Amino acid sequence: MIEVLLISGGAPPAALVADTVAKLTAAGGRVRYAGSVPDGYLERDLAGADLAETHKLPRSNPRRAARLPFGERVWIRSRKDQWLLERAARAHVIAALDDGGVYTVWQLAQRNRTAKAVNGFAPAIDAVRELAAHGGPPEPGPFRAPASLVARDFGRAAKDLPAAAVRLASSRRVMNNRLGAKLWRLPLRIPGVPEGLRIAIGKRVAEAMVWARRHADAEYVLAQTASKTSDPETKAQLLDEAVKLAADRGVNPKYVDPAVAARLVLADRDLAAGNLVGAASHLKRAFLWGFHRVIHIDQLSTKLSTDTAGFIKPFHDSQVMRQFATPRGRRLPAAPPPTGRPVRLLVMTSANDNFLGHILGRYRNHPDVEVRYLDLATHSSLKRIAWSDTQMILNRLGHDDGYAALAEDLLRPYLDWADTVFLDWCVGPAAMLTTVDPGDTRIVVRLHSYEAFTRWPLLVDFSRIDDLVFVADHVRDLAKTLVPQLRGPLAPRMPMVHNAMELAGFAREKTADARFNLGLVGVSQVAKDPLWALEVLRLLRAEDERYRLLVVGGDMNPNLNKATRKYFREYEKELEPLVGSGAVLRLGPTDDVAGKLTDVGFILSSSVREGCHVGLMEGAASGAVPVVRDWPFYAGKAHSARTLYPEGWVVATPEEAARRVLAVNTTEESWRDAAKLANEYALSTWDWSVVSADFDELLLGKRP
Amino acid sequence: MSAFSTGGAPRTDKAPEPDPDGQRPHLIYLAIGFPPAAKSSTYRMRETANQFAAQGWDVTVVNLEDDSWHLESGLDHTLSDKVDPRIEIVKLPLRREDVETDIRRYSEERAASPSTWLRALRARPQEQFPEAAFGDWRPALEEAVLRIHKDKPADLLLATCVPYVNLAAAWRLWEEASVPYAVDFRDGWSIDVVDGRVAFGPDTEEGRWEARILGSAVSLWVVNDPIAEHYRSRYPDFADRVHVVRNGYDADSTPGRAHKPDPASGLVFGYLGTISFSADHLGAVLEGWRRARRREPLLANARFEVRGHIGHGAARGATPQAQALQKAEADGVSYGGPVAKADVAATYAGWDAMVLILIGGRYVTSGKVYEYMATGLPIVSAHAVEHDASNVLQGHPLWTGAHGMGVESLADAFAAAAHLAVESTDAQHAEAMAHADQFTREAIMSKAVKRLIEQFEAEKGRTQ
Repeated sequence: MIEVLLISGGAPPAALVADTVAKLTAAGGRVRYAGSVPDGYLERDLAGADLAETHKLPRSNPRRAARLPFGERVWIRSRKDQWLLERAARAHVIAALDDGGVYTVWQLAQRNRTAKAVNGFAPAIDAVRELAAHGGPPEPGPFRAPASLVARDFGRAAKDLPAAAVRLASSRRVMNNRLGAKLWRLPLRIPGVPEGLRIAIGKRVAEAMVWARRHADAEYVLAQTASKTSDPETKAQLLDEAVKLAADRGVNPKYVDPAVAARLVLADRDLAAGNLVGAASHLKRAFLWGFHRVIHIDQLSTKLSTDTAGFIKPFHDSQVMRQFATPRGRRLPAAPPPTGRPVRLLVMTSANDNFLGHILGRYRNHPDVEVRYLDLATHSSLKRIAWSDTQMILNRLGHDDGYAALAEDLLRPYLDWADTVFLDWCVGPAAMLTTVDPGDTRIVVRLHSYEAFTRWPLLVDFSRIDDLVFVADHVRDLAKTLVPQLRGPLAPRMPMVHNAMELAGFAREKTADARFNLGLVGVSQVAKDPLWALEVLRLLRAEDERYRLLVVGGDMNPNLNKATRKYFREYEKELEPLVGSGAVLRLGPTDDVAGKLTDVGFILSSSVREGCHVGLMEGAASGAVPVVRDWPFYAGKAHSARTLYPEGWVVATPEEAARRVLAVNTTEESWRDAAKLANEYALSTWDWSVVSADFDELLLGKRP
Repeated sequence: MSAFSTGGAPRTDKAPEPDPDGQRPHLIYLAIGFPPAAKSSTYRMRETANQFAAQGWDVTVVNLEDDSWHLESGLDHTLSDKVDPRIEIVKLPLRREDVETDIRRYSEERAASPSTWLRALRARPQEQFPEAAFGDWRPALEEAVLRIHKDKPADLLLATCVPYVNLAAAWRLWEEASVPYAVDFRDGWSIDVVDGRVAFGPDTEEGRWEARILGSAVSLWVVNDPIAEHYRSRYPDFADRVHVVRNGYDADSTPGRAHKPDPASGLVFGYLGTISFSADHLGAVLEGWRRARRREPLLANARFEVRGHIGHGAARGATPQAQALQKAEADGVSYGGPVAKADVAATYAGWDAMVLILIGGRYVTSGKVYEYMATGLPIVSAHAVEHDASNVLQGHPLWTGAHGMGVESLADAFAAAAHLAVESTDAQHAEAMAHADQFTREAIMSKAVKRLIEQFEAEKGRTQ
């Protein structure tokens, strides 16, 4: 029997492990697996693999290992693991299944000198087959590290002694003690401490506090140290660390504003010195912190919507941004639609084609249009440059590193072919596209909603776009506040065109008890705020226990970040008893939303922000009565849910929502009347049979 | 007909013509990827060498040791069966560091952070020759050709690239011993065929090497007209020496059977080739397949078999593409690993339609397209509209056309191919096979080698 030990630093694809183990076993191997994997992976994911033994390697880092490359960390925390050492000592083949496992295999192979040590699934199979073909494996020799390795490790340990001493004085136990932690803050505040020493202490104390899991204190220490640091570079680095500490954990960072300001100062400094590479790098960092998704996307409120102008002002006040945002325009205006031949329409996106189906379907079958479709994600080179923000910034600042030429070469054949380009989603690909002068090709870009909460619209040169299409007026307002180019003389036209939706098929007969069923379609993001819907349900059930909530769609991913996890846990906690009592039905993801909506009498929009809420519109078309939360990100502004939807659909609070439901549902007849009105409004306003004329006008320049 | 022909088309198997001194002329063929390497270019190399042997030349092939290929493209020993036994093969002990999987050969630095180490390796300036991963091979290749020439003087050297470092060895032999040389660039060097743009300018290290090499070459082969046009316009003085030598297909790889699909037990679609396209590209194909299967009754029980090499080095068989295929099993998709050359025809014989997945655009033709055509089966194109494969397929009666990589278009193409598979007649099937007749590899290479020999002889006549 050939003893095989597989090692990984993370959780490898379980199906691949199972398949490999089957092949190894067939070749004469007995296979064991050790991985630095999350809880449950061995029992749940690897249950189907025919492994002789499995073992979870330690995942907690000794403090001194925290900054080492991942592979070394895996080894340092596993090197005294008796299970691992014993199996490695008698293994004939030791294989790493990922990069994180390679160093551990390398170290074990220094101790077991006869084993084959290989990297990868297939090489492991080859190694076993080769041993089997050569009459079996040799007997392992003694298991010990060679003298050279021992001497080298000893040397390293001696070199690390001073740092180790400080670590001892700021150990987890000391830092977990409030007094200990406070004492360490003293040298950061008292005057007279030399700056270099203050910075060194600040970093070490922050490290210790992270070690003691006092992350908020660590952020404070870093920010405090930064505030007393005169060197702008060091100040920015300290603030970066403070923001990163929070953002990496999915927590809304406290020190974003000073971190952004520090980076913009450096960007302006480098710009003035003619160091465009430096300026671009700092500006990119400012964008990253300012528009981090944890701050805007996965929260129930953000300064970006409550004080949009105040949020964006520091960026536009900087010199680097002024230079960056200068519109470059185009040499030729877009040519009028051709006569005598079909319009050539290039539809572009990057992977997300969710809202393109009807558009492509219509124009592929349109006698006056020739359509081509380009998914940038399937074109390796375009995909590579479509999100290269550093190079885009450099290009806009006037530094030529070949990016614009590459974009030009890759895009020109498409621009030469097309009369009109329709690019869906105003993100990286839009910024890439506008590094190129489009010639006389007309450029149309659509901005849905979430893009406005990212840095991408700031990276787009809108002077090279003819039409920037919005799906709602309130998103247009937001974008115009954020991006000065959209208010300038070279701004594109900014029509509002509803999403392409085939709604007629949603109008189906409702089931008998539908009028007591609320429906919520789509709960996969924090912004959908389903807890608001649960509150509406709670209020209704206090009046009438027949009310239920049907939740359609996949859940949010709690592993996305801590903000999402925190929300999801709270939601699950609230949900559990309601599901148990039958008050909430979780219908999960489905391809047949129309079918599920036959059970829904009231359709809810509980979100904190939406562009246009497709699930709500489909619900209205189905004959469910809409109850729309006045989306807080836009409530009270010139345009909001109240201007997108008819009078009466929008409510301010769960209480008002409950009152609306109860009022409409006084009798079955009154509910049916309201449902009929909603259905008629939806079909006459948003159905593709109506909206397609707007698209014809947008893309072909004429109504049918 | 030679025993080492790939069969099918008549070959120009003229008797060896010894030199006046009774010696057969001698070709050194730098063919890194010659059998038993299982690279997509291996077939072209094998046929080239066989043709030289058949046309009266002694051939010495320079290749790598089998172990090196095992790490990279994999091995297919059945490919060696049809190598003319008169051909000498010199195998050099060169290995690509980047695809090494033996951890005992790793430095501690590499083991600690393999991806950082790899990035540094690729960014390392190439002092020997401007080619990442291969540049360091220059001394070994130069030494090898000088040694071979010393043992048995060469009359001509033919370098096929990649790797381009072969050019340094060709140049050295030319400089030191005035041995004329020709180059088979296949896809070209100064043109990035995937992105369809110039890969480097004339003032770069690569540009100077290319200009130097082509300035004295007897002939340059490339695989299609767009690449040939690139070279003719970049080097106008050299234009008449640029020749298109298409890849073609091996006649013994075609199933050559009457087409009999069995929709009741499920139509079978197939892809055979190296899985070198991106995971997103494959994802679009699989999504198109899934949608087509859902809406086209003929596909409800259909299967999609993917065969070929996937990944190399530590990632062999374990790439995101492999995982995507595994995840698609519920949609009737399976990945069955590589197919030995000897089993290719039988593999095609089990399929009812072909899925042609290709990267690149107008500068890429691929070798697969010829082989796929020769099966006479319906072909679904999963590549850009503007692609040289589209030019080759134009007029093929069972081709669903190139409509780009949109998922819906792909779904439509799968559905259309299912209907073609079931509804096409034997006559259409035969017509589809006949469409490929002009592209048998043997006919193409025989002509190309003959022309090269004539050019060589004309050149020799001039210099004498």
